[in-house]
Amino acid sequence: MNDKILEILNLILESKKLNPIVILDRELRLREDLGLDSFDLAELTVRIEDEFDKDIFENGLVLNIGQIIDILKKP
Amino acid sequence: MESFYTDLSEEINIKWSDFLFDINNSSVLFTHIYTKDFYQIFKSIVLSILNKKPIVLLDFDFTFSELENLIGDLSLLESTYVNDNSINIKSIDELLESINNVNENWSLTLFTSGTTGLPKKVTHSFETLSRHVKQSENHLNNVWGYAYNPTHIAGIQVFLQALLNKNTIVRLFGLSKESIENSIFDFEVTNLSATPTFYRMLIPTLKIFPNVKRVSFGGEKLNNTIKDTISNIFPNAKITNIYASTEFGTLFASNGETFVVKEALKKLVKVVDNELFVSSQLLATTINDIGEWYATGDLVEVISCNPLEIKFLSRKNEMINVGGYKVNPNEVETCIYLLEKVKYVKVYPKKNSVLGNIICCDVVTDEIISENEIREFLRDKLQNFKIPRKINFVENIEFTRSGKLKRI
Repeated sequence: MNDKILEILNLILESKKLNPIVILDRELRLREDLGLDSFDLAELTVRIEDEFDKDIFENGLVLNIGQIIDILKKP
Repeated sequence: MESFYTDLSEEINIKWSDFLFDINNSSVLFTHIYTKDFYQIFKSIVLSILNKKPIVLLDFDFTFSELENLIGDLSLLESTYVNDNSINIKSIDELLESINNVNENWSLTLFTSGTTGLPKKVTHSFETLSRHVKQSENHLNNVWGYAYNPTHIAGIQVFLQALLNKNTIVRLFGLSKESIENSIFDFEVTNLSATPTFYRMLIPTLKIFPNVKRVSFGGEKLNNTIKDTISNIFPNAKITNIYASTEFGTLFASNGETFVVKEALKKLVKVVDNELFVSSQLLATTINDIGEWYATGDLVEVISCNPLEIKFLSRKNEMINVGGYKVNPNEVETCIYLLEKVKYVKVYPKKNSVLGNIICCDVVTDEIISENEIREFLRDKLQNFKIPRKINFVENIEFTRSGKLKRI
């Protein structure tokens, strides 16, 4: 699962011409550290939903990578 | 003009003399036409006109449950009239004279292609169907490439245009790209009328068709890129863009993306909040309960007011809301088609809880191209919110029964 999240994040970063990340650091913040805007977050949620069938933003804001992993781990 | 109808795929070639024989020797005619045999549909329309009986045309791919919703009783499919045996047409000219003198009671009912919701029933008189048919000596030697569904308004209009000028009809609708190309060459087609999607199917082609002298577009928004490409494929053709609908038939024609509204129609059309409205005077006979103005659902840009010149933007319900920004899928598709590697594209919304919708698209291509390559290409052509955030590469894209891109 972590590899797939990393792949999706790097796909978005690549299209924004930003440096890819190598490790999925739980503390990394989506907006502040990775530089994602609302369009990128919308793309992220759609790509993750297509892959894992779960809307990560369904119950409110997701601020960092750790929260994405936690939501996807929940049964 | 010896031939009335030809179909390369079914190896059918009906001469005008055979057609007259069939007309004179049919014992019955069906009230509801539900067949994929184009010749039977054409023959049934002519028989109904000669017998002054109303006719209902049904798409051959309607399911029985759809038919039940549309016509109520399936036994109507077996319902017939007796062919008037006093009808004895001796020549094509006599046939055309009888058709031109059709009784006011004759009507033809069909159903809109139903891109959104259930197909709508629309009944036309001969007058509304033939409003734009041109009959003259100049049209006598035309050979029509038949690229529309024969149970839809555009197909009926092309049929009447060909019929009333004694032209040959060559079937192209529903055929493969190769069969279409062969038919245009082998039967020396001179006139073509089709949706932009149909012409797009012919691209890329290395062939050119010098015999075609008229090419018309209709049913979907035309853009200049496809128009230019088509000009290269048909170097000797005059190109016409047509605006028409099932409800009122052909309304405007022009040689490009914009339409100048003729003086005669000036008081019969208006634009309110970018939407085109048409006077109910121009509508087919059955939709009389809609008030004075009919909302077409087509969004237009007014280029000039006097004379009124308009350009079509999209269908009203096609606009996609991305976080408060409106995106016209046609505009995005037009830009993506600038990439030669792209064969077909369909732009659509995908719901999400961050922005409401994001733009996604399906692309059909035979070549290697990446998602990022397409997005990079669009970077300096479209605003950021219009660029598809997710691009899927697919084998096929679905089209409606009219050959238009299926949006829903």
